[in-house]
Amino acid sequence: MAKADGVHLSVDGINVFYGNIHALSDVSLKVDEGQIVSMVGANGAGKSTLLMTLAGVLKAKSGSVTFDGAPLPDAPHRVLAAGVCLVPERRRLYANLTVRENLMMGAHLRKNKAEINEDLERMMDLFPIIRERVKQYAGTLSGGEQQMVAIARGLMGRPKLLLMDEPSLGLAPLIIQQVFETVAGLKRQGITILLAEQNAFQSLEISDYAYVLETGHIALEGTGQELLADERVREAYLGVRQKAID
Amino acid sequence: MFMQTLVTGVAVGGVYALMAVGYSLIFSILNFSNFAYGSIIMLASYVGYFSLTSYGMPFPLAVVVTMLGAAALSLLNERISYSSLRKRNAPSLYFMISAMGTSIFLENMVYATIGASFKAYPPLFTQATVKLGSSTIGKLDLFAIIFSFTAIFILNYYINHTRTGIAIRAASYDSTIAQINGVNLTYVIGLVFILAGLLAGLSGVFLGLKYMAYPTMGWITNKAYVSAVIGGLGSLPGAVVGGLILGVLESLVSVYISSTIRDVFSFSFLICILLFMPSGLFGKYLEEKV
Repeated sequence: MAKADGVHLSVDGINVFYGNIHALSDVSLKVDEGQIVSMVGANGAGKSTLLMTLAGVLKAKSGSVTFDGAPLPDAPHRVLAAGVCLVPERRRLYANLTVRENLMMGAHLRKNKAEINEDLERMMDLFPIIRERVKQYAGTLSGGEQQMVAIARGLMGRPKLLLMDEPSLGLAPLIIQQVFETVAGLKRQGITILLAEQNAFQSLEISDYAYVLETGHIALEGTGQELLADERVREAYLGVRQKAID
Repeated sequence: MFMQTLVTGVAVGGVYALMAVGYSLIFSILNFSNFAYGSIIMLASYVGYFSLTSYGMPFPLAVVVTMLGAAALSLLNERISYSSLRKRNAPSLYFMISAMGTSIFLENMVYATIGASFKAYPPLFTQATVKLGSSTIGKLDLFAIIFSFTAIFILNYYINHTRTGIAIRAASYDSTIAQINGVNLTYVIGLVFILAGLLAGLSGVFLGLKYMAYPTMGWITNKAYVSAVIGGLGSLPGAVVGGLILGVLESLVSVYISSTIRDVFSFSFLICILLFMPSGLFGKYLEEKV
């Protein structure tokens, strides 16, 4: 299925506004098939805005997004059908549904019941905690458990590309470690990942390529190792503005 | 006498519950009170009346026709009055004003076309009774109980156990994430209005049989609103329990105290409930805060 050039997702010069606020200006990036690409940057840099735009929740004023050689639909319920799934910031599980129902919602577009049940089993093998909690309401779970369910819910749609928005947010250090190991594990299973993280060092360590986002535009890019070695990344990671760096 | 009052109360409560569930369904997904729902029930009552009289349909067919007609009207209500507001992310106040406008429009349309007179349903089983032990029970009450609770039971099963039902509950909690999971929100909202419309059709027939059809009968849905609030807005089990409690208490008050203070009692009861349990008996999503 790999394209000749290997480019899976290509974002070209998108601009997104919240009213008068220019949230993303001319953002372009590429994600190759089978890679983990991360976007690091401070709070408010536009990471979530970009992912929400890709997911179709926000609309870009200009620019284009192609996925697998075709334009990515801009209605959220069609984005998943195209093979792209967002695991949203702060998990956003359906607290009024059980864990099992949450996972079934991830497979909402799929028809084959036997395959869905197989995947349900796979998720419970991947995240053993889910097996224990499967009948509980999602609202009763701890933050770390909720994050596992949120990732599993995303995977239940069998996406080719998983967009992950701050999966480590608000979790204990030990759990954060577990989340990053999970993300690296997903890559080994052949899932392409675009990861937005404030936790720059840990996400760069597992990334093939990365972009540094600052106040709505891309300030730096390079392989994970290059950026880890870059002195400016430490400043960007601390949220220092572009002008100060120059 | 007590037994008879109780059965009447459950029957009235069942119809309140039908309407309250319809109200709650729409509230849970769009987060506003659809005041036009009463007018849909009123129109349904007329559909039932004309199906039985002008078209001479047998009762079961008339019920089906009324339910389908009300479902179509309810869907139209959403597509005309709310869908454009929804696409612009309008605040819920706008939805309520649009709902009130729709309601006033429909009532006056009926005045202008059908007229203000009360339309009495043919006496199908208004006089018929069944003996149950030592008390006589109206057949109408019995039918109302059977139909209401069967409908609520089927709806409950649908909402809790089917893929689309789970999607409705998911969308009512977080419509953005539901869309990310592949739910077509326009379709699901349309479906919710159709389901609410089916319930409106059923309650319209029973209200018509019990109280006749007339342009302002939509006010009865105030009681459904009260039931829904007592039970906790947005909670379906709450709407059913709220409807039953209100129906039974009203019947008891009418018989043992006075029928003139029935409505005074209903609204006082609502205020008391809200004073002590502001989110109703089964306030929305209370279960997972435990």
